[in-house]
Amino acid sequence: MEETLFWSRLQFAFTITYHYLFPQLTMGLAWIIVFFKWRHVKTGEERYGDAARFWARIFGINFGVGVVTGIPMEFQFGTNWAEFSKFSGNVIGQTLAMEGMFAFFLESAMVGAMVWGEKRLGPRNHFLATAGVALGSWLSGYFILTTNAFMQHPAGHSAAADGTLQLANLAAFLLNPWAMIMFLHNQCAALVTGSFVVAAVGALYALRGRHAEQASLFLKTGTLVGLFSCLLVAFPTGDQQAKMVAKHQPVALAAMEGRFHSGTNAELNIIGQPNVREQRIDNPVRVPSVLSILAFGHVSANVQGLDSFPEDEWPTNIELLYYAFHIMAGLGTLFILLMGIANFQRWRGRLEKSRGLLWVLMLAFPFPYIATTAGWMTAELGRQPWLIFKLYRTSQGVSEVVSGGDVLFTLIGFTGLYFVLGVLYLFLIGREIAHGPQGVSLTGKPEVSHD
Amino acid sequence: MIEIWYAILCFMLVMFVVLEGFDIGAGILQHVAGRTDAERRMVIAAIGPLWSWHEVWLVAFGGVLFVAFPAILAVSFAGFYLAFFLLLWALVLRGVSIEVSGHIADPLWRTAWHFIFAASNVLLAILIGAALGNVVRGVPLGAGGKFTLSFFTNFSPRGGVGILDWFTISVAVFILVTFAAHGANGLVLKTEGPVHDRSLRIARLLWKAVLALLVVVTIETWQVRPELFSGMTHKPFAWLGLISVISGLSAVFTGLRSKRELRAVIGSSVFIAGLMISGAASVFPIMLHSTLAPEYSLSAYNNAAAGHGLAVALVWWPVSLIFSVAYFLFIYRHYTGKVKPTDDTQQPY
Repeated sequence: MEETLFWSRLQFAFTITYHYLFPQLTMGLAWIIVFFKWRHVKTGEERYGDAARFWARIFGINFGVGVVTGIPMEFQFGTNWAEFSKFSGNVIGQTLAMEGMFAFFLESAMVGAMVWGEKRLGPRNHFLATAGVALGSWLSGYFILTTNAFMQHPAGHSAAADGTLQLANLAAFLLNPWAMIMFLHNQCAALVTGSFVVAAVGALYALRGRHAEQASLFLKTGTLVGLFSCLLVAFPTGDQQAKMVAKHQPVALAAMEGRFHSGTNAELNIIGQPNVREQRIDNPVRVPSVLSILAFGHVSANVQGLDSFPEDEWPTNIELLYYAFHIMAGLGTLFILLMGIANFQRWRGRLEKSRGLLWVLMLAFPFPYIATTAGWMTAELGRQPWLIFKLYRTSQGVSEVVSGGDVLFTLIGFTGLYFVLGVLYLFLIGREIAHGPQGVSLTGKPEVSHD
Repeated sequence: MIEIWYAILCFMLVMFVVLEGFDIGAGILQHVAGRTDAERRMVIAAIGPLWSWHEVWLVAFGGVLFVAFPAILAVSFAGFYLAFFLLLWALVLRGVSIEVSGHIADPLWRTAWHFIFAASNVLLAILIGAALGNVVRGVPLGAGGKFTLSFFTNFSPRGGVGILDWFTISVAVFILVTFAAHGANGLVLKTEGPVHDRSLRIARLLWKAVLALLVVVTIETWQVRPELFSGMTHKPFAWLGLISVISGLSAVFTGLRSKRELRAVIGSSVFIAGLMISGAASVFPIMLHSTLAPEYSLSAYNNAAAGHGLAVALVWWPVSLIFSVAYFLFIYRHYTGKVKPTDDTQQPY
């Protein structure tokens, strides 16, 4: 049982972390492609058409890997978390089924035509198909985040006669305030990933001196969308998310901040290592009272430390939770700085000549992936030891009939398969980027690349 | 209420098996119907761009099972643990091979991915067939209402069974051949030239095999679960299924003989739907039959979710279905008729 629980947790964590590398780009890039398509239809300028086609090819590869790594997620509810599925299926099954019925059907119908069907569909319908994929991907995000929000902050349920959960109020479940804020926070973060990737490819072309027109289009779009989405991730969405954690999951906030002892005028730890055994932060750099302000809005607010909670309700991995939260918040701040400088230089007309800044933009694209991953680790580690916060423990939810060895076997299988997928993905994306946006034109044969 | 949800689930599974059965069947036949690279691309173009819409029926089926019968989902997914992961990996490989094989025009790249495409489709057909066989035969549910299955035990369909025994293997072979025959009908409809002509020859051959295997599997089912047949007489849906099987088969044979291509495809779809409907009707209300003792079987009536959630879902589900079909039609009307290699095969470089 212990082993099944451990390997099942690791397998879910690994497969969901790997999976989410792809949808975040899908959700961020989708609206940028819609924008390029819209400009193309509106102005008839071929540079927008080329840009839309180039990013749609990258989108297609990315979407494909996202889909195939996503299907195992839904199945794992039943295979590895059977007791949890039985306990909560009537509630969270709603959103999982809605995701399939409302979002996946939309995305799956449109995506093939979006990537390969421009000729068949014609400009207007192809634009609609592109917008349909974007909408579907965000709907899917909404439904899955509502599912997660129920686990973080259950709403709209009641206890059934047999001890399981049943749906009591669909509106309360779907409009869970936790879901609303988490959705906005998460979607803005997806736009950060999308815009950083677009800006990075623009920077690459600018540094190489290739595809000059596209390079400046990508840089402009990437840095502009990047700046706005970075700001929105931090404020108001990130700020509201933190306040919600402070209000509803104070024990998680205490662990995220490595706050072992309660007190007013709570300080924010900028740097420092949590030492759980000694119950302190080693080598801290602190700003006094800031945590009180961030969490509750005034300087003297009392922020509870871990000592206010029974130890069996502490998050199970405080160190990792602390680091994940600080990496997310730290990177988020640096993103605003970088995009601020990039936009300032672009406004002065100097961005494409600032080689140093272009280098930074080109190499910055992995960091939004790190930040979103760390953000999700914060959310999920902060929820522990609960599967549904304060209602149902993670250890209660695991499948009883599955052995630890079986789960280790499938985890190793996923590791191998996903390694191959990763190599394949990087190879194909690298090839598209090397080939560049002039690609295959609509009117004629594939153009031969001269450089 | 419970009957309605059972019917909705059956409908979704039928949609999946009919639509995806065509994609899988075409994939199984890719190397037989298509000899050159261009012909094999045509097979992939024939199932695209809506193959993933077909596959979503399985995902959505899982979601609806989650809402309506969470206990059944929990018991069966955990019980079939390893088989489910094989199915998932096969789906991953098939999806990836469709996605990436078109990107590069290199012959080695194409050969490798086309092989993975065909092989994963064969594996998928066998797994889906074995799964259906397991539902009909039953699983070793004990007093605790749980089970776990190894891949095989002594190959007997009674008592402590495994996933594979002589019965489930023969159902798997039957489904493999049926999907291939269904796929051949679809390829006849969607293609021209040599792929079309070969598919027509293959279809005529395979449908005779389907007919023979149908007789064999029916007799075997009567051996393994005789009570299913005696219970059928007072179940109208079982009769509907039976009529569909017979009319579907005759439409296939007459359609193939007179080269009315659409008729053959509708016929094979109706045939497959009829098989699923008569099966689902005859096992109802038992969703998981116990091979150990009948009283351990899990019935739809005792394992459905509580009422309010089901009532709510009954409101949104039809709405979502209308949307889904609308999306499909919006795209599909651009893809009716034969595949055009100039428009539909991906442009590599």
